[in-house]
Amino acid sequence: MKQYAVLLGMTGLAAVSFAKVDLVTLPASESVQITIYESADLTLVRDSRPLILRQGTNQLQFSWAGTLIDPTSLMLVPKKAADQVDITDLSYPPNAVNVGIWTLESRQAGRIPFEITYLTSGFRWRAFYAGILSEDEKTMRLEGYVRVFNQSGEDYENAQVRLIVGQVHLLDEIAELARRTWPYGRPGEGMPPMPALVRQKRSQLAFGAVKAMDEIAMAAKPKEIRKEGLSEYFLYTIEGTESIPNGWSKRLPSFQAEAVPVVNLYKFEEEMYGPSVIRYLYFFNNAEHHLGQTPIPGGAMKVYRTVSKQGHLTHEGGCEIKYIPVGQEVELNLGPAEDVLVKPKLMDYKTDNYRFDDRGNISGWDEIQTFAIEVKNSRPLPIRLEIKRNFPTSYWTLEHRGDSGKIFEKVDMDTVRYTLHLPPQSARTIEYVLTTYHGVRQEDWTRQNH
Amino acid sequence: MKQTIWFAAAAGLLFGAVGAQARTKLAALPQRENADIRMDNPAFTLIEEERILTLRKGLNQVDFAWQAVSIDPDSIRLTPLDHPNGVRILNVSFPPGEAALVWEIASDGDWAERVRISYLLGQIDRLTAYKAVADKGETKLDLTAYLIVRNFSGEPFANARIRLDADSVFERDLADGQTRQLLWMQTRALPVKKVWTWDSALQPWDPEELEQQNIGIPVRYRLVNEKDAGLGRTALWPGKVRLFQDDGRDSTIFLGEDDLAFLPVGEKAELYIGDSRDIVVTQRKMKEEQINIRRNRKEQIVLFDTEEILTAKIENFKDSPAVLLLIERIPGQWEMKSCNLPYTRKDAETLEFEIALPARKGDKPAVVQLEMNYLRKNIRP
Repeated sequence: MKQYAVLLGMTGLAAVSFAKVDLVTLPASESVQITIYESADLTLVRDSRPLILRQGTNQLQFSWAGTLIDPTSLMLVPKKAADQVDITDLSYPPNAVNVGIWTLESRQAGRIPFEITYLTSGFRWRAFYAGILSEDEKTMRLEGYVRVFNQSGEDYENAQVRLIVGQVHLLDEIAELARRTWPYGRPGEGMPPMPALVRQKRSQLAFGAVKAMDEIAMAAKPKEIRKEGLSEYFLYTIEGTESIPNGWSKRLPSFQAEAVPVVNLYKFEEEMYGPSVIRYLYFFNNAEHHLGQTPIPGGAMKVYRTVSKQGHLTHEGGCEIKYIPVGQEVELNLGPAEDVLVKPKLMDYKTDNYRFDDRGNISGWDEIQTFAIEVKNSRPLPIRLEIKRNFPTSYWTLEHRGDSGKIFEKVDMDTVRYTLHLPPQSARTIEYVLTTYHGVRQEDWTRQNH
Repeated sequence: MKQTIWFAAAAGLLFGAVGAQARTKLAALPQRENADIRMDNPAFTLIEEERILTLRKGLNQVDFAWQAVSIDPDSIRLTPLDHPNGVRILNVSFPPGEAALVWEIASDGDWAERVRISYLLGQIDRLTAYKAVADKGETKLDLTAYLIVRNFSGEPFANARIRLDADSVFERDLADGQTRQLLWMQTRALPVKKVWTWDSALQPWDPEELEQQNIGIPVRYRLVNEKDAGLGRTALWPGKVRLFQDDGRDSTIFLGEDDLAFLPVGEKAELYIGDSRDIVVTQRKMKEEQINIRRNRKEQIVLFDTEEILTAKIENFKDSPAVLLLIERIPGQWEMKSCNLPYTRKDAETLEFEIALPARKGDKPAVVQLEMNYLRKNIRP
């Protein structure tokens, strides 16, 4: 399975002349666990192997030619009899590329289980989603998938696969570390990278497809994915083991939620979206929405709608969604909507309350603008509509006509929002008078408001 | 083993000026008895090696030459060890066009003298690297420090003593072109404190304005290099720290990595591991008004104050409590009128709020609201 080789042998020779190290045992791998990160090209591999140690000094050679392993991340850890074994040294010998030799001092002879861990580049995974709206668009079936890609240069067979959601802080790209000629570089100079790996097409890949089909046929039910939070990360552990040959990818279902109640939310903000109204589907990642078990990793979302009793679908739109913690709302941006209209109109404009300084120049004035915002929902569904208005100053007053004041809230010092719930095929108008204060009139405004 | 530094000792040669054609090199090379590679200074590596020189009573000339290695000639020193008073170095000469020098040594006897030669050698250095495993609760860290010795000097060393400090000595062979990672220090259960930091000068204020983007809140581990914490024996050298966490299932996850700056005994360090997207801060300025406006005779504003209101809504979507360090900055002269949460004034313009956030309840985030009402004073337009 592995391209890298692990060899164990007794030392006794001058360690400087490494070529003469007598390496005799090739221990087989017992289990492999790969933990793939989403936010970076980074995978933690844990390879468990029993080593037969002799009492005294042992040397273990590990080579990783043709892989994307970061040699500075190599670690060897005894899983038993840890107090009997000291791992004193890891040497990267001269004139040997992609080889490391561990020196172990063992006070015990016999079989001891070890773990070799390292970071590698070349794996990635991403989440993606399909949302299928009911005909009345009140609920949605949400299907989550993950797709795992192996471009690591290695075939992984029967490996436990774990996926990590979270923003990890890295100082160096693992791929760059893997390509270095010398693991830690040379003193006083930057490292020219080695040429990129030439990936080999392997004959076994042709058989891999057949094998993968067999596996699917044999699987009685989709695999469970265990989900748990750790530190700032979320860890998905796929049940059992997976085999992913180099160059292949694998898609796995991660969750499915039926009848998630959704709100058709429309947003209008000229400064952000221009004259269009943007359609969103809005729901919460919580139990009320048949979700809320885990955060939802960011990924691409495709939204379909059921259009017939036979289950035919139409594609409503697609978007990227961000990471959604448990309890947070999800807003799926489905793009501009044609059937919901928002038309702000300036109905009247005047200036007033001029102030003049002692030289007769204008020192202050008010601008009074009357707006009518026409709103129309042509859809056969009730919708929620949010209209944001930004003002050029924080010195303003707003006077509402009709009941527009009831749906108004101040967002910050120069932004307000109107939230409307519009019945199917309905229209209404929001009317307000905006007075903005300029020059010394700002002081009058301040006095009035204290 | 290829050797690129060598000696030639010529006893009793007295052929005029050093550097003249008559200078004789003998082939009886004194072998290096042992070598110390001193790496306590991270910028320079000092080699101290001992050799036996066969000296005749009278004047001796000893050649020291090197090839394809980078030695600072001014750093080369020779110290007699057996007869420090009976062996005297009279002068050192540098022949033209050669990477070599010639010591003229006066000896009071016919001695096989043990001498120490020391010099600064280039292209050999050391790095430090750390690996740390946090417990599941993220309160303790098992820290392992490694010394990475890189020898690209052109000179191999057999059975050398690699010295980092008085307590850290490693006896190893070190071939030319070899890198060795040596176990330097291990500390178990080092206490750490996890902190989340939101800085109003660095982070976006309003997540609503960012379409489908998460605002990450940096997460750091704080640790102290002190005895109570299991360290405190020596300063920690700068190096990359890779952090892992025990997942409670006999495995680990990789948390992140950061550079540790030089950490003297008694000092604190923070390691940035990654960003949290489960704590969301929405900050908005709800008011900014000019007050106390003062004008000149031309009615131009020359001085004013502002009254400002800042609000921040902090939501914890995590299923565990957290302590958020929220940093606000108010430039210039200011006066707080009211603030609903306690803060520490770190400097003239920096306010630090340590906000304890409870865990979310069920699937509802825990919410803490901050409201600051302050005056900025004596502002000139």
